[in-house]
Amino acid sequence: MGVKIVPRHGKTLREKLYLPAIFGGMKTTLRHFTANLGDTPQIKTFSYPEEQPQDIGERYRGVHRLTKREDGSVRCVACFMCASACPAECIFIEAQEREDGVDEKMPKRFDIDLLECVFCGACVEACPCDAIRMDSGIFSFIGKKREDFIQTKEQLLAREAKENA
Amino acid sequence: MSGLAIGIVVLNVVLALLFSLGAAPILVWIERRVAGLIQDRLGPNRCHIAGIRLGGLVQSLADMLKLFFKEDFRANAIREKFLFSLAPVIVFVSAFLSFMVMPFADDVYVEGERFIMQGLPIDTGVLWFLALAGLSVYGIMIGGWASRNKYALLGAMRSGAQVISYEAAMGLSLISVLLCYPSVQLGDIVRAQGELLGGILPAWGIFLQPLAALIFIVTAFAEANRTPFDLAEGESEIVGGFHTEYGAMRFGLFFVGEYVAMSASSALIVTLFFGGFQLPYLNTQTLHVTMPLILGALGIVVPLGSFYCIRWMRKHNRWALPNDRRNRESAWLSNIIIGLNGILAAGIGYGLIVGLSSFSTHMLTALLQVVTFALKLLAMNFVFVWVRWTLPRFRYDQLQMLGWKVLMPLALANIIVTASVIVLKGA
Repeated sequence: MGVKIVPRHGKTLREKLYLPAIFGGMKTTLRHFTANLGDTPQIKTFSYPEEQPQDIGERYRGVHRLTKREDGSVRCVACFMCASACPAECIFIEAQEREDGVDEKMPKRFDIDLLECVFCGACVEACPCDAIRMDSGIFSFIGKKREDFIQTKEQLLAREAKENA
Repeated sequence: MSGLAIGIVVLNVVLALLFSLGAAPILVWIERRVAGLIQDRLGPNRCHIAGIRLGGLVQSLADMLKLFFKEDFRANAIREKFLFSLAPVIVFVSAFLSFMVMPFADDVYVEGERFIMQGLPIDTGVLWFLALAGLSVYGIMIGGWASRNKYALLGAMRSGAQVISYEAAMGLSLISVLLCYPSVQLGDIVRAQGELLGGILPAWGIFLQPLAALIFIVTAFAEANRTPFDLAEGESEIVGGFHTEYGAMRFGLFFVGEYVAMSASSALIVTLFFGGFQLPYLNTQTLHVTMPLILGALGIVVPLGSFYCIRWMRKHNRWALPNDRRNRESAWLSNIIIGLNGILAAGIGYGLIVGLSSFSTHMLTALLQVVTFALKLLAMNFVFVWVRWTLPRFRYDQLQMLGWKVLMPLALANIIVTASVIVLKGA
């Protein structure tokens, strides 16, 4: 294997003058400027609240939702796997006996504190019943009080999967 | 003094205000939009008053309003309260006053009386600019020292050393320019640039003294504390530099002062090296003679320019929501442009049919020269902004190396060469 000699720059007169390089750089920026001025619609920036992003994919981890069984009842069996897996400890479950014979247990309360949540998806991975998912596609969650960010079981059940996902 | 004479004096003061203070919001707007377009983004474009955005210019008004209404906060640790408050004032006032000797147009003679078309009708010219440009560093030094903050002090020291060392090269490069022209008064210098060099090139400073022009432009960047020489405020190492402790309108004065200084530097560069108010090949006497022709040409060029402007606006001035009132702005602005063109056409038509009196010819010449100066000033300001978004900041030792070891000897050599040529030509 031969010795590789890396050429050093900055020794020629042209490079020492700096000015050719500076003018070259200015030419580049001016080219961008004129191209963008002549055709602003080609700039990739979109006006956010008016234009929504279209690249929220199937695997995007949005705000959680609780899935339902075929009969519309909650799929969760209150096994606490998600709460144990949660690194941010933001899931609070209170279990109760399930009386209708479909299963043995169900959550009485199922709260997720979105201010604590780090949206890691560990709860989705941990769930043995596919009862919690993050496929709602909601990337921006807005509330006016801290209490608004604690999602209850009812809110989580009411949420649907993102349509095209 | 007749009413007319007072009118001209007032006009001069208003123009000086407009070009320096009035330019600040426009320059901020240019800076942000040009930065955006250079970096393939849009820049501020959302702010509007009743749907009128003017391409984002309204954002500058909103920013100014915000600075005015912010709490005027000062840390308890600051003991020298008077100096702390004085610093931004010095920066602002010196930048503002240095603009006052820039001639916007050739001297106007009304009823035999001579009026120098600049903010302050004095003959000191370049010397006035140098004196006041040197003063602004006091504002930065005092501000940095009175802040009782190590970052502010470091920034102020860097800035002080930089401005003082570049002032040497700046002064020396000016000497060779002044050798070429008979006077330090800027009006005389610009009048001398109205001649032709060998019958082909206009005798602009940049053709007579290309090296001095280069050195002066580089040092003007350093003097105005603009990138690539904005070491006074290295965000990555010394936070905001000398204005770290400043907020609200105190900071606002520093901010506006920077842009006014930039505008003043551009004005001096334009005046010394790019022919000031002179249109190339058309000096004041030629303008007086050929005024009807020029008016006719304007009657064609301005509507054509407006047509392209409106077409550009129709394509670009859009808003994402179809029913937003911001979408109605283009039609509104188009009507204004068409209306202005109509007024212009009527004025030109009237002037050409009825014929121009000597007085109106003189006034139109002055107007044309003011517009020329404004356009050149704008172009030079654009260069300042353009350079800022192209070049990275210098390292401190490289900056001093460039100032003392490159620019200073070059300026000295330039003086010697220029002086020898002038002496040989005279002999």
